[in-house]
Amino acid sequence: MKMLERFFHDIKKYWNYAVYASKSELKGEIANSHLGWMWWFLDPLLFMLVYTFIAQVIFRKSEQYFPIYVFIGLQCWNFFSKTVKGSVKIVRANKGIIAKVYLPKVILIITKIMINGFKMFVSFLVVVIMMVIYRVPVDWHLLFLVPLFIGLVVLTFGISTILMHFGVYVEDLANIVAVVLQLCFYMTGIFYSIEKRVPAPYNMVLLRGNPIAYLVYEIRNSILYEITPDMLICVLWIVAGILLCILGINLVYKSENNYVKSI
Amino acid sequence: MEERKEHTEQAVDYAIEIEDLKIRYKTLNKMSIRKSLTSFRKAKRETFEAVKGISFKVEMGQIVGLVGRNGSGKSTTLRAIAGIFSPDEGKIDLHGHTVSLLSIGVGFNKKLSGRENIFLSGLLLGFTEKQIKEKEEEIIAFSELEKFIDKPVSTYSSGMHSKLAFSITAVLESEIMLIDEVLSVGDAKFKKKSYKKMKSLIGGHNRTVVIVSHNMNTIESLCDTVIWLHDGQIKMQGPTKDVLEKYNEFMS
Repeated sequence: MKMLERFFHDIKKYWNYAVYASKSELKGEIANSHLGWMWWFLDPLLFMLVYTFIAQVIFRKSEQYFPIYVFIGLQCWNFFSKTVKGSVKIVRANKGIIAKVYLPKVILIITKIMINGFKMFVSFLVVVIMMVIYRVPVDWHLLFLVPLFIGLVVLTFGISTILMHFGVYVEDLANIVAVVLQLCFYMTGIFYSIEKRVPAPYNMVLLRGNPIAYLVYEIRNSILYEITPDMLICVLWIVAGILLCILGINLVYKSENNYVKSI
Repeated sequence: MEERKEHTEQAVDYAIEIEDLKIRYKTLNKMSIRKSLTSFRKAKRETFEAVKGISFKVEMGQIVGLVGRNGSGKSTTLRAIAGIFSPDEGKIDLHGHTVSLLSIGVGFNKKLSGRENIFLSGLLLGFTEKQIKEKEEEIIAFSELEKFIDKPVSTYSSGMHSKLAFSITAVLESEIMLIDEVLSVGDAKFKKKSYKKMKSLIGGHNRTVVIVSHNMNTIESLCDTVIWLHDGQIKMQGPTKDVLEKYNEFMS
């Protein structure tokens, strides 16, 4: 409990820094490219075209509103995987900072989540535009996005903090995480429907057992198909996510002292 | 007599109190998955104690020099006071004073302009946006960067880079300043200027300073007292002149 108190105190104290650091990182990213911020839209749009092509032309499988379907999945997945992948090496990447000044290491993750969260938010503007073009009807089901995205953020934060800790000590963890993430990508149903394409009992196992697959599935249901999500599973995953966060925060605060000595 | 002694002890305000400070480094605790698969015995963890139980107090407004050979634990002590890592044993009490390790270019993002980096670095050092804004012009003026301040830091020469970095940490002052051998940056003119600035910063009353340096002239001209560290322990502590005399004898 004391760790959590410290965590919230640190968040308050370093909030301004985290916001400013995220802004600078985003600004820096676009400063040197010709198309600048356009890439935040172009990147997911182009990947959407790639996966739509693969699914529709090569595998001849499709869903209703397929391009938007792929786009939403891709955005949620990118947020999760980029944050997790970045966290493994985040301490070493910020060596210049943490060797010279005390910074709670969880702030590094928070900054990362802000950056990737902002990109996800921006690209959802494209979803809105696409939905107008495809004339997708929407209703109050959009409200379910609030708990679903809370689940996504909490899980991402929890997993990232734990991986940040082990990433300091295990040098080749990044390679393994990259492979596992690739596997998860295919098991999350970004460009196909797990529910319809995976044979029966496994599809439900996968949808309920893989939190990202579940969240992506329900986010699509809420936005595109006006289907009410299974809130019990959502709540369960949020609780699991919070437990992971507590575990990760404790782990990091207990040993962050030694990080700078180990890198 | 007894009573008077007690009175004077109370009147002294300590800025830093260090009690039996011990700091250990664990070597060999990095592993790779291949190594842990191929060798069944656990990697041996060697502990190396860099600071072996030192205690000292620094009065408010005092300027203390830390001297000693390479590897005697000076920088480790300094980093512990700055809070970069906390002690393995013992206590460090700063009585709530703000502290900063004067270090060059913390948290710079090279793709951004110098002006933006002033804010980034300042926020990281624990200042509020308002405080930085108040000092912004002073920092820019001191750094002599003029119109370059709005150009990306990646376009700076290394001298300009250090000038900006020094100006940020020197102008944004905290109550306790820790200086680790950084007094020489930039060209000769800027070096002189920054040395002067350091001196005036240090001279301001109520500023407590701890300096690590191998330059005996720096220590001699700036410090009130000197602590001589040897192999992680305090070998001698006292007025600058006395300690340096013994230290120079020892080193020669």
